[in-house]
Amino acid sequence: MSIGSPDSTVGIEEHPASAEPVRGSAVPHGKSPTRVAVDRLRKDRVAVICAFVVLFFILIAIFAPVLTKIEGGDIGTFHPDLVDEYGFPTFASNAQHWFGVEPKTGRDNFARWVYGARPSLIIAFVATLSGTVVGVVMGLLAGFLGGWVDRIISWFVDFVLSLPYLLFAIAMVPIVESMRGGSFNLSPEEQASTRFFVLIFVLSFFGWAGLARIIRGEVLSLREREFVLAAKAIGVPTRQVLFKELLPNLVAPIVISASLSLPAYVTAEAGLSFLGVGLIEPVPSWGQTIATATNWFKADPLYLWLPVLGITALVLALALLGDAVRDAFDPKTRR
Amino acid sequence: MQWKQVTAVAATVMLAVAACGTPSSNNKGGANAGNAGTAQEKATDPTAKGPAPEIEGAQKGGVATVLSDVTPDTMDPTNIYFIDGNQIGKLMYRALTQYRLDGDSHKPVLVPDLAEDLGTKSADGLTWTFKLKQGIKYMDGTPVKAADYAYAIKRSFAHDLYDAGPTYQDEYFKDGKTYKGPYGANGDNYAGVDTPDDHTLVIHLAKKFDDLPYYAAFPMFTPIPKAKDTKKSYDLKPMTTGPYQVDSYTPGSELKLKRNPHWDPNTDPVRYQYPDAWDFKFGQDTLKVQRQVLASNGPDANALNYSDLDSSLVPEVKDQSQIVTGPQPCTNVWGLDTRKIPMEIRQLIAKAYPFDTYRKVAGLTPQTAIPASTILPPAVPGYEKYELPGLVGTGKGAEDPAVASEVKAKLKELGKENFELSWYYSNDDKIATQVNQLRTQVYTAAGFKVRAVGVPKAKIRTLRNDPAAPVNIAQGPSGWCSDWPSGASWFPVLFKSDAVALSNSIGMLQDKTLDAEIDRVNGLTADQQLKEWSKVDKLIMEKYLPLIPLYYSYSGYPVGKNLGHVINDPTQGLPEFTSIFLKQP
Repeated sequence: MSIGSPDSTVGIEEHPASAEPVRGSAVPHGKSPTRVAVDRLRKDRVAVICAFVVLFFILIAIFAPVLTKIEGGDIGTFHPDLVDEYGFPTFASNAQHWFGVEPKTGRDNFARWVYGARPSLIIAFVATLSGTVVGVVMGLLAGFLGGWVDRIISWFVDFVLSLPYLLFAIAMVPIVESMRGGSFNLSPEEQASTRFFVLIFVLSFFGWAGLARIIRGEVLSLREREFVLAAKAIGVPTRQVLFKELLPNLVAPIVISASLSLPAYVTAEAGLSFLGVGLIEPVPSWGQTIATATNWFKADPLYLWLPVLGITALVLALALLGDAVRDAFDPKTRR
Repeated sequence: MQWKQVTAVAATVMLAVAACGTPSSNNKGGANAGNAGTAQEKATDPTAKGPAPEIEGAQKGGVATVLSDVTPDTMDPTNIYFIDGNQIGKLMYRALTQYRLDGDSHKPVLVPDLAEDLGTKSADGLTWTFKLKQGIKYMDGTPVKAADYAYAIKRSFAHDLYDAGPTYQDEYFKDGKTYKGPYGANGDNYAGVDTPDDHTLVIHLAKKFDDLPYYAAFPMFTPIPKAKDTKKSYDLKPMTTGPYQVDSYTPGSELKLKRNPHWDPNTDPVRYQYPDAWDFKFGQDTLKVQRQVLASNGPDANALNYSDLDSSLVPEVKDQSQIVTGPQPCTNVWGLDTRKIPMEIRQLIAKAYPFDTYRKVAGLTPQTAIPASTILPPAVPGYEKYELPGLVGTGKGAEDPAVASEVKAKLKELGKENFELSWYYSNDDKIATQVNQLRTQVYTAAGFKVRAVGVPKAKIRTLRNDPAAPVNIAQGPSGWCSDWPSGASWFPVLFKSDAVALSNSIGMLQDKTLDAEIDRVNGLTADQQLKEWSKVDKLIMEKYLPLIPLYYSYSGYPVGKNLGHVINDPTQGLPEFTSIFLKQP
């Protein structure tokens, strides 16, 4: 009996649960965790649909001027002839005003809806981006340098997390207005833009601290690993260690945190505007429209449903996408 | 009188910010006048006696509820000046005189309340004697003394404590300008009031004040016993003479009233005591409570709201009898600063005003906001309708491109291109910001330069009341209501030179000729004044144009299905609480 010819397939069959996916010879050995995650995402149907929904809203926001031009309306013009003497729109929808007009003022609902997507998205993305950058840098510094730097940054993180965020959002507006020359010297547009930037600032200011804490914890465990020690030993500059050695290993927590904060910020902006402390006229925003439209719900349901649908679809898509991203990056989850 | 504070969402918002200046005024006497329009009719009944005739179908018992979106700032009889506080006060405080609402039109007739008559004037008109009813008791059973009336009047001079109350006494009563109330040194000695015996009150005046019996209907003329005066906290447990007494009062949120067992209907020609108790809930959400009241489910059927129905709720009204309507003695205006804007420009501003769109954007309904063309509203005696071209409360103004270019051309002709118009608006109020956008668009289209200053709603009243404010439009009161039915509580208060310093002025007029004319009319007898005030009205509008009249307000508030005899009191533009009953208690 022969001991059998060597079978090249045996080894592979003996290790079916290998973490390495089966790959063709053209694929170079070893995939980065990011690459693995993106591959997983692409196979996730929910993630793909959600990404398209988000993309749809982003396109709407970007092409708002074009869309309103096609429709023929704009956000500011009053059409008093299109509402009756009690302020109710005289029609639900027509060729000039696809989504009808706003009660009382007769402004075009479609234009206000597409422009209303802008502040939500801009605020959410800008706040997420700046919050993430600050949070990552702070977390890296605190975790890697340790000592008094860590103590100061950690104290600051605790401090920020303890501040009341809603109160801060309300109190910031008059302060910033007085810094810009006092509310007496500001036009309504300037006042509205002040609110806009204050909102971005407040959201990012309160967003970075949590992320910084997570990153610090990760770095604390990573910095004792051999590759970091080795890099330090051969004299790689601190900056390079931070950004070349540590950062690539932190992609997962960063992406997860960012993808989860996007929908949270969209909701926060709408919520604050609904309460009257967020955006104000003349900037159109979904939150404001919802606040007004609840009064008119019985007579003009479309007026309320549009912004509600917009926010719901956007937040749901962002949240599911965030979930999928987290699943994709987390090696412990399998679906 | 001050317009009630207004709400965030309701149609009335624009007036809200307006309200009516500070209560200080510099009125110069006035008329004894009749009801709106009917100049010759006497509107007093000095012989009226209690009890008030029973209302058909009225039932005793139950708790009537008032769900209010606005909050009266005080319930202290001396400090009440807002119309809602005044009206609620009538349930608790009896004054020297009172209005009785006669007939189907609810014509207000001045009748004696705690006084036996409407007062007797001395030959020189400087001494008034009120005979007081005997046997009146406070809710705890202690008898009312003449000294208590005198004390209440003395108390009304303590403006450091009671800063919101009416101030006609400073101007007209003897030593009114020097006396500082009963609390300071020598506070007991005031020469203005006298009580020779226990059923006589004598008031000494510094100058003639023929409207005193009307003024005596204010709750500040209710008796207040000196021993029970707890100053600022008096309204928590006030001594009441009316059909109800305070059960509990939480300033800013709730007032509960219960029956006053010592109120004697035989002495009261006006009031009733049908419900067992009253429950006023303040600071509610307008739309929410108006919906509740309209739906009248369960206890909400016993409730009413006294703000005009929001226009967005109009389709929800199934039963028109749930909306109580009636006139209000108020006009809402847009003031133009005559010191800063030349007359020709003021005329162009009026010409360009987009009345129609303004009404829609501000949420004014045709029922509750009647287009105005005069300063005096129809509810004030002596009102005579006239219409100046372009000032009729309706029209497209410069929204019509033809008018816009015409105004623009005129401005150019005058060499005032890009003339700057500036005003305050509340930037945290959605309706106010939309109205502001409308005005900005329209006036910019008409060739003006607009500088709109957005300020928080909480601060706008203070800012507008500053006569030196760096704006030239919409300063001072943005609406005014009669203190009593006479032009004398309008023109001297609003358009005389000294009104500017008192921040009551609309249009900041400082014109000696006009001052003299107003003084002349104010010095006439009551009947003569009736005809003259409308001439002054027209003169001011034609020659000075210190304001654009926007609309006369008209009541139209929702009431629950179980409330009976809810009628509008035309002296206040609010429900007449004292005659309301529950159909099924």
